Amino acid sequence: MARQEALHPAHTLDISSALPAAAASRPRTAGSERWLIWLFLLPTVLFLVLLLWLPFLQGVWMSFHKWPFIGEPQWIGLQNYRDLFGAAYFWTTMRVTLLYSLSTALQLALALGAALVLNQSFIRLKSVWRGVMLMPYAMPPVVVGAIWMYLLDPDLGMVTHYLLSWGIISKPIYWFSDPVWAKWIIMLVASWTFWPFMFIILLAALQAIPESYYELAEVYGANPWRRFRAVTLPHIRGAMLAAVIIRIAWNLAKIEQPFQLTGGGPGYETSVLSILTYRFAYLSGDFGMAFTVGLLLILVTFVLIAPFLRGFQKQIKQARRR
Amino acid sequence: MAMYTQRSTLTQKVLGYGGLAVVLLIVLIPYGYIALTAFKPAEEIFDVRWLPRAWSLDAWRYAIEFEQFHVYIYNSMIAGLGAAVLALCVAVPGAYVFGRKQFRGKDVMFYIIVMALLFPFVLLVVPFTILWVKIGLYDTMPGLWLAYQVFIIPFAIWILRAYFAELPPFLEECAMVYGCTAFKAFWRVMLPLAKPIITSLMFLAFLVGWNDFLFSNMLTTGEGPRTASVIIYVSAVGGERVEWDVLMVMTLMAGIPPVLLYIVAQGQFLKTFAVRGH
Amino acid sequence: MAENIGIRVHNLRKTFQRGRVQACRNVNLRLAEGALMVLLGPSGCGKTTTLRCIAGLEQPDNDDAIWVKGRNITRLQPKDRNLAFVFQDTALFPHLSIRRNISFGLDMHKTYRRAERRRRVNEVAELLHVEDLLERKPHEVSGGQAQRVALGRAIVMEPDAFLLDEPLANLDAALRVEMRTEIKRIQKRLGISTIFVTHDQEEALSLGDVIAVMKDGEVQQVGTSHEIYHHPANFFVATFIGSPPLNCLPCHVQTDNGALNLASRAFQLPLEAAGVASSLRNQGEVMLGIRPELVAIAPERPDTVAARVSLIEPLGSRTIIILEAEGVELRAMVQGETSAREGEAVHLRLDLERAFFFDNAGNRL
Ligand SMILES: Nc1ncnc2c1ncn2[C@@H]1O[C@H](COP(=O)(O)OP(=O)(O)OP(=O)(O)O)[C@@H](O)[C@H]1O
Ligand SMILES: [Mg+2]
Repeated sequence: MARQEALHPAHTLDISSALPAAAASRPRTAGSERWLIWLFLLPTVLFLVLLLWLPFLQGVWMSFHKWPFIGEPQWIGLQNYRDLFGAAYFWTTMRVTLLYSLSTALQLALALGAALVLNQSFIRLKSVWRGVMLMPYAMPPVVVGAIWMYLLDPDLGMVTHYLLSWGIISKPIYWFSDPVWAKWIIMLVASWTFWPFMFIILLAALQAIPESYYELAEVYGANPWRRFRAVTLPHIRGAMLAAVIIRIAWNLAKIEQPFQLTGGGPGYETSVLSILTYRFAYLSGDFGMAFTVGLLLILVTFVLIAPFLRGFQKQIKQARRR
Repeated sequence: MAMYTQRSTLTQKVLGYGGLAVVLLIVLIPYGYIALTAFKPAEEIFDVRWLPRAWSLDAWRYAIEFEQFHVYIYNSMIAGLGAAVLALCVAVPGAYVFGRKQFRGKDVMFYIIVMALLFPFVLLVVPFTILWVKIGLYDTMPGLWLAYQVFIIPFAIWILRAYFAELPPFLEECAMVYGCTAFKAFWRVMLPLAKPIITSLMFLAFLVGWNDFLFSNMLTTGEGPRTASVIIYVSAVGGERVEWDVLMVMTLMAGIPPVLLYIVAQGQFLKTFAVRGH
Repeated sequence: MAENIGIRVHNLRKTFQRGRVQACRNVNLRLAEGALMVLLGPSGCGKTTTLRCIAGLEQPDNDDAIWVKGRNITRLQPKDRNLAFVFQDTALFPHLSIRRNISFGLDMHKTYRRAERRRRVNEVAELLHVEDLLERKPHEVSGGQAQRVALGRAIVMEPDAFLLDEPLANLDAALRVEMRTEIKRIQKRLGISTIFVTHDQEEALSLGDVIAVMKDGEVQQVGTSHEIYHHPANFFVATFIGSPPLNCLPCHVQTDNGALNLASRAFQLPLEAAGVASSLRNQGEVMLGIRPELVAIAPERPDTVAARVSLIEPLGSRTIIILEAEGVELRAMVQGETSAREGEAVHLRLDLERAFFFDNAGNRL
């Protein structure tokens, strides 16, 4: 009965809440509550408008200027955009940005595997393993970056040492300054750092699948693979899509790790768009250009998550109909 | 929570434990190695071996006495705590209204807020720096707290809203019939009910402050409230020879507290992250 | 009226979505001080909305809609109305003990000292037989107990009126019957005006001093159980009340040599003899409504109707016989058992004197 759940309502991150609630519960608001509504909304709205949307709009405005750190900004219309698209490094940057966002796929694979394993009933000490798996994500990304800088150090790093002694490579590789390896390395380190985020979301989704579905599948003689296809996958698809969307966006936006590991180099080989923004703002002092790149980053983010967002919305609509 | 208790075949067990071992090794090998490094004397850093020949606390002593790293750890803690408290003061009332009240433009507003989740925050660094200098928040702790809110609030509202929406209906109305104002109904009934989710969001928000590098680096100077992340970055990238053993001590000092927090609050987090596709 | 009016709902109008949904079109109710009124009607007819308007959880469209003890409270805040509302799903506060739940209203108002509040809670708990549960949390008590606690939370306030919105709907059948008796007993004992919403007609008939039948946001009829059942104001009330349901037969009134006859596909019956002629003169098409207990199997006579028994539903104390006459289905109800057999051809006597006639608009004739 409903009372039982009352004390322990499923504390769930309701991803369907990302869509307008179509009269889910009947709207019932007495007039005397109006003031409360607006009072409660005020801080949130104020914070987000002042801290996010106004600076953002100001940035859009800046992108039409030559806007040096010191000195008068000067309106130059679309010149920043023309310069950006015309620049040689632009395509290098786009390429590495796409590669970097591929890290999401790697994270998903690792997360799904780990979540499926930890959801097996026979595994003991689950909470210990879960805690261990969360470690890379719980720590500051800069800490994880520092760890990998050490492990990958060409002179005294463990990785180089073992690769050499097993004969996989013949001389030390300067991972972070090698034009071929650098972009792969930042991608791999990002995957290692951030996969637990997906893991925790997927695990929670897996645990929410009612047992009866599996029993039913077994009654109908489904083998493990069929059970996964028919029961598990449909139930966690929404969570997977949500996690992928968030991860893509955050991977593209977070700069600390590539910033720390390679600083965007060599050349522009690891200058993902967010790093490029940073380089323009702080190394060249060209804020107008920095924001031009930033807007492009937003655009790229949305292009990349658009297909997943579509799938996600379809998923929610189906769920609603059920 | 549902956990399928089928008869597991031997193959399944082998596969399951094998998979678990692989994942654990991926995570634990790097950590194990650096944890041991932190106890090596400086001269041993140069040969790759797991166990130190001679165990040593020199690196720890150096990190604390010379680098004063504990001060930065303290800064990180204050940064995280302040950010968490501020975030919840702002986000809880907002999320409550989004979860349980009806008003015009609600869906659009909620979209705009959730969209902020996907925002590339590096873009804000420039305007923030300019603005913070102007209004005197540059290089101050409150300046950091305020800056972190752009990460935390959208996320907190998203999660809290769903929680509030799922609490039993009519509770506030019932409270209002029995003598509460709308505010008191929130304060006396809804807030106590949201305690578990608020706790876990406290943790998450704290970690945002603790883990952040971007804003702490840009909005503070060496004189001001630098956090541990920044120091680690500087020690790792900052020019001359890197003292790896000391750096590994610092990574442990900055890295372990959040892990402990996660472990303490694990169950809570799992519930918080239970994404409902249905 | 001389008697004291406990609750008065006056031309209550409530629309939602800027007038697009009319939940209450024009609701008028008067409830004598200390009486129990049941609001009965099909789903979506506006019962809950009416009750919520009285409690102040919904703002009526008109300013003079809600009166309690002679006071216009239409625009008062819910907390200032001194009314108690019991929700269908109990809405107990999950984080508070049963004791704190019951004393919630007292704690909010703080009119009484702590010891006094405690004493009152104990008293009410005893009245409702939940004194052993006081230190538990709501999820540790059964559904019936939770509902008692919800009642207790209302009673302890000594409110000007109780408003109960389907408080028993979530309980199982046996518990419902038991609780409804108990509610009635407590209500009588405390003498507090009560409005009880339900869409269960048996509950309504057994419980209410007066019953108000609603449909589409309007009150159709207010009366005692007897009046509602035996003297329904219109076709809707007559069909909504009664189980098994009213037999409805479209007929027309014929004049044959000055004698009035009621004719349908299945029969032609003299009306004069039945003594109901006067109101039906000059009517053409009418709807005959006749309760199943007024249909009886009888020996063949000129005023009986030929039919065939299609099904028999024995219910223990009563038996329902489903009959078919020229394609028209009829239900008859007899006390005890029947000797009729399925498939048997029988003759039916219809007690037209106590039957209802309605015109095309559903008005009683
Ligand atoms: N907040 C609202 N917004 C829009 N329509 C509403 C709202 N509240 C009620 N309604 C509509 O008003 C009508 C009356 O609703 P109400 O809840 O009063 O019915 P009810 O008689 O209590 O029904 P039930 O027996 O199912 O509880 C319904 O058509 C309902 O859809
Ligand atoms: Mg209702």
